[in-house]
Amino acid sequence: MKALVTGANGFLGQHVVRALLGKGHAVRALVRPAAKVESLGWPDTVEVVRADLRAARELEAAFDGVDVLVHLAAAVSGGEDAQFASTVVGTERLLDAMARSSCRRIVLASSFALYDWSAISGTLDEQSPIEAGADLYARDGYTIAKSWQERVTRRYAEKHGFALTVLRPGFIWGKDHGYLAACGQQIGKVHVVIGPFSHMPLTHVENCADLFAVCAADPRAKGETFNVVDGAGERIWGYLGDHLRGVGEKGFRVPVPYTLAYGVVSLAFATIFKRNLKLPHVLVPCRFESRLKPLRYTNRHARDVLGWRPPLGYRECLARTYTRA
Amino acid sequence: MKAALIGAGQIARQHLGCLEGIPGVQVVGICDLSPSVAESAAERHGVPAWFTDYKAMLTDTRPDVVHVTTPPPSHFRLAMDSLDAGAHVIVEKPATSTFAELDQLVGRATERGKALIEDHNYVFNAATREIRRRIETGLFGAVVHVDVLICLDILGPGGFADPNTKHPALSLAGGAIADFLPHLASVAHAFVGPHRDVRSVWKKRKDTVLPYDEFHALVDAERGTATVGFSGAAQPDGFWVRVYGEKMQATTNLFETRLTFDRVRGGPKPLRPLLNGLEEGSAVSRAAVGSLMRKFKIGPGAYDGMWDLVTRAYQALASGSALPVTTADVLAVNRLVDALKPASPRA
Repeated sequence: MKALVTGANGFLGQHVVRALLGKGHAVRALVRPAAKVESLGWPDTVEVVRADLRAARELEAAFDGVDVLVHLAAAVSGGEDAQFASTVVGTERLLDAMARSSCRRIVLASSFALYDWSAISGTLDEQSPIEAGADLYARDGYTIAKSWQERVTRRYAEKHGFALTVLRPGFIWGKDHGYLAACGQQIGKVHVVIGPFSHMPLTHVENCADLFAVCAADPRAKGETFNVVDGAGERIWGYLGDHLRGVGEKGFRVPVPYTLAYGVVSLAFATIFKRNLKLPHVLVPCRFESRLKPLRYTNRHARDVLGWRPPLGYRECLARTYTRA
Repeated sequence: MKAALIGAGQIARQHLGCLEGIPGVQVVGICDLSPSVAESAAERHGVPAWFTDYKAMLTDTRPDVVHVTTPPPSHFRLAMDSLDAGAHVIVEKPATSTFAELDQLVGRATERGKALIEDHNYVFNAATREIRRRIETGLFGAVVHVDVLICLDILGPGGFADPNTKHPALSLAGGAIADFLPHLASVAHAFVGPHRDVRSVWKKRKDTVLPYDEFHALVDAERGTATVGFSGAAQPDGFWVRVYGEKMQATTNLFETRLTFDRVRGGPKPLRPLLNGLEEGSAVSRAAVGSLMRKFKIGPGAYDGMWDLVTRAYQALASGSALPVTTADVLAVNRLVDALKPASPRA
């Protein structure tokens, strides 16, 4: 089986390439023209194709002999419109090319960001509602772009008969990516931990990559949507403590109850800030919830359908994240 | 009045935000080559119809005004077809890639009896308007000279100097800086009028994909002189305008809300620097707070000039009164832009 992997040199992409190779699949890696791939240590068997999805004219050739597209490319920084152009317009162009090829299988990296966090209580799973309509535009640029990317991909799949698997990872962590939005607010050495006992939807990058590689080859994944988490999730307080120890930082953790922090943010948003969406994310209630709301998480659906279990436990993940090479 | 937009990117959202607040204006359609860009903009701003074919939009929605908010190389064709479809046109800067195209566009607009308005937004910023008000009321005295300088980091990999894909502005003579020439030229023109003569220096300081990253010019104009410039290396970012009048001098940073005046005062001459300094200090402090608050406020932010210009344009079109940017203004500004451009495509 041959997989075309977009965003192959990104944080998740590098591990997905490794996981696919590890399962004996062939990989064609799509990276941007200026990307540096020499240091990634890929074997010669990895074919590197250089193209910018926003502008490339000849994307069709990238699908030659490809059985499955693993689409990970998305902008994680930049202005709202730049993210939309990279993530959504790039996807339209890529899938237009795929429609003209013989490849009919796609695994898409979506995101936990898509969920309507305000509407969910208890356990967040694949049946939870996703943000839609006008409310979506109150969220951040990343969420808007990722929501549209999934929407566009589902439409293409419907129209062209692609067999689609959507994977929605939670917070992806790993080497050099240990400090996450859910850790709260850092002010110098002080970490304000909002809802210290809340669980985090963690997915270690190697566990996450493993599920991508599994889905690329397993026909049972066709037509499915899976949340990707390591399990029920570590609590923020403990995770942040492990992170600080791991990187050797001396930081102080100050706990603030979630309901108190959310109440203050909501009140300020509705009164002094007059519902202005230009505020920093932590001051906009719906964005605050999407990063910090205390919910429960599960990978049960992937387990039920595919028999998948994350290969690495929390302690092993910690070791791989913080042990110096 | 019915408005439609061709191009649904970042600047289009500013136009849409402004149009939502103008009474009697209804946005009837929005178009973009990317269906999801067009559809998401329509969903977000409550626009009833979206298109990927602008000609279909012009036929189906019959707009009174078309906003052309696409990358510059496409403006000419889109504006021409919009005029031919019987609409007034508000076009983002630079209106066209070359002066010859602009001349044709103005000719067509005149022939059809339609307005062609280029977005000279910084001429309508609050600070620029206040300086012009003082000039009009005689407080400022006659303008002698104006300095206009944009310092902006365009060298980063995310924007104009993107190593992965060629930014559309790089097809203009002068590259990324050419995208800013209409700002420089329109502000200079607003204070000293049409130019007579120009001397430009174009340079490249950094090794990037940009053909030039530094530009400075001296302009002799009908009502005074001007220097205009763009620096990709000088930091921090700022859009500095200094206007020298016979009774007063004004300094403003159009990227923020800073505006200060130095004036000739009565009283003992030795006290003038002190009084001007105190006045300046208090104005700068207020502006610093104002610039910060503006970031947290709902509204146009740094695009206040565009909102003002577009609002005035619709009022003028509805009542038949004088347009905020006339055809003569557009021609004079673009003649200056053309004169400022570099002789060779690369340094």
